Amino acid sequence: MLLITCPYCEETLPEAEFAYAGQAHVIRPENPSGQSDEQWEEFLFIRENPKGPHFERWRHLHGCGRFFNAVRDTVSDKFLTTYRAGAPRPDLASLGGDAK
Amino acid sequence: MSGNRVAGKGRVDVGKSVRFTFDGKPFVGLKGDTVSSALLANGVHLMGRSFKYHRPRGPVAAGSEEPNALIGTRRGPGRFEPNTRATVQEIWQGLETTSQNKYPSLKWDIGAVNDAAYMLFSAGFYYKTFMWPKSFWHRVYEPFIRAAAGLGVSPTEEDPDTYASRFLHCDVLVVGAGPAGLAAARAAAVDGLKVVLVDENAEVGGSLLSEPQALVDGQRAWDWLAAEVEALKAAGVRIMTRTTAIGYYHQNMIGMVERLTDHLSDLPADTPRERMWRVRAKRVVLAQGALEKPLVFHGNDCPGVMLAGSAQTYLNRYGVLVGQRPVILTSHDSAWFAAFDLADAGAQVQAIVDTRESVRDDLLAEAGKRGIRLKIGHTATATKGRLRVTSLRVNPVTDGKVGAGYVIGCDAVLMSGGWTPSLHLFSHTRGSLAWDEDLTTFLPKDTPENCVIAGASRGLWGVEAVLNDGADKGRAVAADLGGTGGETACSVASDRTGTGVSHTELPTDLNPGKAKAFVDYQNDVTAKDLRLAVREGMRSIEHVKRYTTNGMATDQGKMSNINGLNIAADALGKKQPQVGLTTFRPPYTPTSFGAFAGYHRGAHFEVTRKTRIDGWAEENGAVFEPVGQWRRAWHFPKPGEDMDTAVRRECVATRQSVGIFDASTLGKIEVVGPDAVEFMNRMYTNPWTKLAPGRCRYGLLCGDDGFIRDDGVIGRLTTDRFHVTTTTGGAARVLNMMEDYLQTEWPDLNVWLTSTTEQWATIALNGPKAAALLAPLVEGVDLTDEAFPHMSCVECTVAGMPARLFRVSFTGEIGFEVNVPAPRGRTLWEVLWEAGRQYDICAYGTETMHVLRAEKGYIIVGQDTDGTVTPKDAGLDWAVGKSKPDFVGKRGMARPDLTSEGRKQLVGLLTEDHSRLEEGAQIVFDPTQALPMTMVGHVTSSYHSDAVGRPIALALVEGGHGRMGETVHIPMPDRTIAAKITPMVFVDPDNARLKI
Amino acid sequence: MNKPMSSEPEVLAESAAVRVRLAKPCARLSLRARGDLAPLEAALGLSLPGKIGERCTGGELEALRLGPDEWMLHLPEGTVEGVLSSCAGVYETLPHSLVDVSGREVTFQIDGARATELLTLGMARDPESIAVGEGRRTNFDGVTVTIWRDADSAYRMDVWHSFAPHVLHLLETGCRELAAEAV
Repeated sequence: MLLITCPYCEETLPEAEFAYAGQAHVIRPENPSGQSDEQWEEFLFIRENPKGPHFERWRHLHGCGRFFNAVRDTVSDKFLTTYRAGAPRPDLASLGGDAK
Repeated sequence: MSGNRVAGKGRVDVGKSVRFTFDGKPFVGLKGDTVSSALLANGVHLMGRSFKYHRPRGPVAAGSEEPNALIGTRRGPGRFEPNTRATVQEIWQGLETTSQNKYPSLKWDIGAVNDAAYMLFSAGFYYKTFMWPKSFWHRVYEPFIRAAAGLGVSPTEEDPDTYASRFLHCDVLVVGAGPAGLAAARAAAVDGLKVVLVDENAEVGGSLLSEPQALVDGQRAWDWLAAEVEALKAAGVRIMTRTTAIGYYHQNMIGMVERLTDHLSDLPADTPRERMWRVRAKRVVLAQGALEKPLVFHGNDCPGVMLAGSAQTYLNRYGVLVGQRPVILTSHDSAWFAAFDLADAGAQVQAIVDTRESVRDDLLAEAGKRGIRLKIGHTATATKGRLRVTSLRVNPVTDGKVGAGYVIGCDAVLMSGGWTPSLHLFSHTRGSLAWDEDLTTFLPKDTPENCVIAGASRGLWGVEAVLNDGADKGRAVAADLGGTGGETACSVASDRTGTGVSHTELPTDLNPGKAKAFVDYQNDVTAKDLRLAVREGMRSIEHVKRYTTNGMATDQGKMSNINGLNIAADALGKKQPQVGLTTFRPPYTPTSFGAFAGYHRGAHFEVTRKTRIDGWAEENGAVFEPVGQWRRAWHFPKPGEDMDTAVRRECVATRQSVGIFDASTLGKIEVVGPDAVEFMNRMYTNPWTKLAPGRCRYGLLCGDDGFIRDDGVIGRLTTDRFHVTTTTGGAARVLNMMEDYLQTEWPDLNVWLTSTTEQWATIALNGPKAAALLAPLVEGVDLTDEAFPHMSCVECTVAGMPARLFRVSFTGEIGFEVNVPAPRGRTLWEVLWEAGRQYDICAYGTETMHVLRAEKGYIIVGQDTDGTVTPKDAGLDWAVGKSKPDFVGKRGMARPDLTSEGRKQLVGLLTEDHSRLEEGAQIVFDPTQALPMTMVGHVTSSYHSDAVGRPIALALVEGGHGRMGETVHIPMPDRTIAAKITPMVFVDPDNARLKI
Repeated sequence: MNKPMSSEPEVLAESAAVRVRLAKPCARLSLRARGDLAPLEAALGLSLPGKIGERCTGGELEALRLGPDEWMLHLPEGTVEGVLSSCAGVYETLPHSLVDVSGREVTFQIDGARATELLTLGMARDPESIAVGEGRRTNFDGVTVTIWRDADSAYRMDVWHSFAPHVLHLLETGCRELAAEAV
């Protein structure tokens, strides 16, 4: 069971309180109807599958209920950082993760 | 007391004899004995048969690494457990044990024919033997494999024991309470740090229990140990015995199984048999010690052939001499001490056979003092004896040449191939290992976890070295956590340090092709099998392992992995690190399913949610069905009624007069805020802006992919407040989806969502008499078409209770849903029930609800839709607000695939022969086509309908909306059923019945 | 088990180690708001706790912050209408959501020498991370619950009604199990 730091509660807590919610920074377009089929396909279906740091979303489902973002290394399964929804994508180099 | 018990030796209680049985025969042991030590004390070595060849086997070890001595244990009905290690199971008064893998008896076993046919079972036999002829697979091979597979016999009765689990948080967890672990725990227990020390044995002490001669700081080992345990307790260290750390998981979470009752003759009340501990430790010290390696030679599995260190343990810890005339066979100094201990206890040691060319002088001198015959520079080439070893054949080895063999008579062969650090838990952390050429073993290197490894498990040898290393590591982790401990180096006299060499198979002058030199005892893998695997092309140890099954038995290769690697590397002509080490995986030792299940069995297996009205349903004979986590009344059979009869009666009663239905499980979400209507517009396909407060509307929820996710009736209570309902199973999912969009896509919206599913009890009244029944009870609104038309909602008073009243219908009849605060739900139900008697009110369940809604063509999301159905496919185009600039699913619905021709569309079906279709049945256009037929859809709902006078069905059919009146075919195993495609609404298409 | 909950306070499980009681019914409001909370605080008569997990009381009102914009309010039965209407008075100034969830939940009172250990049967987080006088929403045996730590060995646990029998079943088992243990 992983330990996850909730950026809203500012506590590091067992994974049992959280739920995974897919890749982070997939932004729903302002005007979906203006999207081409290819753009919409990209938004709906195309996801990263990195070996290494992965930007992903979690929800503190059994806690404060907030969705937030995280960088998790898919090799070590360790969280490099977590941050609030809407905050900019952190710089990987500053996290000490092995960007691959 | 039997002749193998040595007076004055061991930690067993000589004053307390314990009676138990083995294969029906009574035996007497002592309190503190394991099954294994007690049987050995009685001169019994033969304890089981091997898995593949059914060879007679005895215990080779004294601890949890034991591969051979697996037994069944029984404690009355239901309490049978197979594959228990006799070396771990403590005896208690009345324990029944049985040997395994034998028929008709342990001494005469018919399966031993496999031993003679061993050529059939060589490496990779799974892949070779059963290849041909193909027709043999079902009739011969599979039955044979099934009959032969598996160790022991599965229990057949339900387990009457209980199991438990707990979380534990600590600063330092020390795994292994040998000298290293004890010292680490002591050193870490400073400044209030919470330290837990865990050991799989019945008592702490580890190797000290087998080495009473050691003097720690001048104190005799066992006196020092007793004092140390007291000191640890005084320092607040939590000591947990009979507790095995089975796995090391992410971020210092360690799974541990505590065995609470398996050693007791009387089961205490309210005490679980086992408890799974989920420990989160800030730091972990792994002090699991080292495991002795067997030597690999022909006949090394004969009962009586045992690890020398284990013989030493049986003597010192249990006071048992495993043989009166043992031979010691070793490549390591440690076995010499075992020889000395046994000799001093009265055994006539027949010889010490050492494979090395020279041995330390002090050992030679000690052996000389005891008059032990020495065979230095010798190999062992065979054992004799069927059910117990009677002799060992040894040969001198000179310059690599094996000389003439001769036989030494004996009743036990005590072997040592050196020691392997126990790296199992370290390996679970994905820690890296480094090959140590001198020790011919892997040692721990780096780990991503917050853990350190201490003592013999990192290759140290001798009590003093291990104690001081443990203390160092304990101090270091304490310092890491801000604790400060002083230096407490200790000195140990009579310490038994030593070294050794490592071997592949021992050299032999006999035909190696016929040698049965076992590497993995439990899976019957020999050195020859490993070499064959390499000859047949296996290059990686991972392949060799799977091809031969070496190390894949329940002992997880504790004894076999390193010997297997050495032999495979030799066969490949490579260094061991180039061949690699297989990964150890949890659990460290076999773990019961009960321990994993914990409390989650029987009534507590999973949550069963019940409504406030569930009790009434139960009292009134309801049959229930699970819907998500809820149990819902399915139908209410009267005495003598089967389900079909009950449902038909409920349907007719509702359409004729009035039915009452518990709809409390419907998900409810309160949407509140100035942007509530904007949020609803964006979430749901329907337009909401023009919905006036006091009105409600059927809402359809899609995903951004354009497919239907959920639906429900939504009421606008005030401008800023919506009462949203969802499907029963979708409540949590829908709220999660809404929160997701709200929090991450539209955080600017001033609106909040609150689950009110359980705030309200919801009672649906449907039928021509529904309004008449309800009207007298309602204050604040007239239940007329004018004052309260279909699709209205209002906050009012019903039977004196504050209520939210909806006029909605999921049946096609006049319908109301009354929501009252949940605690008052049952009261309202009973009031309505009483008031309804004059109308012959009928309670109906979910099945009737399904029939009535299907007759009206109302869909059930998840039954008539499957996650690939669009609103248009479902005939719900009318619920899509096409003029809205955006909503979740709008762009998705415009995807090329979702607008293309030939999509599966929801339609009605009426069978030509009036038979009822099976839900899930596949549909074809042309029943005469060749197999396999082209499936064009399936039946999603199917019921008998008295309102229609024949069975009705809903189905997804390719291009269905354009095929009204056409005939499709439903092939069934016995016949093909023809059905006509119809519109989905079977009853009252004009909605005339909705009017009061 | 799985019998319906009574509305009367009663001892549900008791042993030498720990006691579990069903708290008397109270009114419960879920409050959601953000921004300058002063108008709401004036209407409620308390200053809302500012950190997730913190609690405060004002008169008969007790508030626990559950999320960045979420509080759970406990108040005596029958006082809901007053709170609803005074908060409605500030809705225009400070839009918020106040939803009556009194019927949604029940509260178990857990106390006794080993109350903290009882929680470890089903709660993955360290109970010591909830200070006395604080509270948290968390997970107990797979069920979302809200824990209020009232003293070193005294807790309240709010559970949705339909999950309560499941949670209680484990609490009862734990009561007996802990009492049977030699400490």
